[in-house]
Amino acid sequence: MIPQLVTARWRRKDGRYRRLFLPVVPIVLLLSPLLLLAVIGGIIACLMFDLPPFKTLAGVGRIFWALPGARFEIEQGRTAVLVSVR
Amino acid sequence: MKRKPGTVNEQRRQILQMLAEGKITTDEAERLLTAVEAEEPEAAVPARTKGRPKFLRLVVDANDEYSGETKVNIRVPLKLLRAGVKLAVFVPPQALERANQELHKQGVAIDLTEIKPNQLEDLVDALDELTLDVDQTDTKVRIFCE
Repeated sequence: MIPQLVTARWRRKDGRYRRLFLPVVPIVLLLSPLLLLAVIGGIIACLMFDLPPFKTLAGVGRIFWALPGARFEIEQGRTAVLVSVR
Repeated sequence: MKRKPGTVNEQRRQILQMLAEGKITTDEAERLLTAVEAEEPEAAVPARTKGRPKFLRLVVDANDEYSGETKVNIRVPLKLLRAGVKLAVFVPPQALERANQELHKQGVAIDLTEIKPNQLEDLVDALDELTLDVDQTDTKVRIFCE
């Protein structure tokens, strides 16, 4: 399953939390022209470094597909950051 | 023997009913209730979910006098580790050589070129059983799979 929602939360200087919800599918659709350019750039980079471009792209895609469920939460002193992928 | 849910409550109700009907004395009822309650924790423990764990968890709870209280809670899907291992196959040998040189400079005697992808996959598979607990006065670290 591809990631649906990325949640980022961090604590501001005044101690209040700021949250950001990123719906992945609409953002990917919105940025698809740029992503296409990025994919082409990636393929060129793979060819430059003697890497199999499609296998590498498949590997990157597999990582993208495996992201749901990941959660990173760090809190130290006044700093608090949370990134969660659902 | 499998215990049906609610059986303990049923037994407790029967004991109280027998007490109310005068079939047993208060002492007998107390002894019976104690015996039923002794069995209860075992019954209340949920059966361990079978199947492989899906996430690798890292939980750190530290309280340092310089940096204050630190909490780290990281959950990484094991699928992500496996995908990363598969992608690591494509790392060019010259990059591994450079990484080896840097590791040697830092005093880490690991030859990355000797590590085969299937060994890494075995390592990720073996993580299922991993549980690491570090418990110090100011720091607690737990690494486990769930």
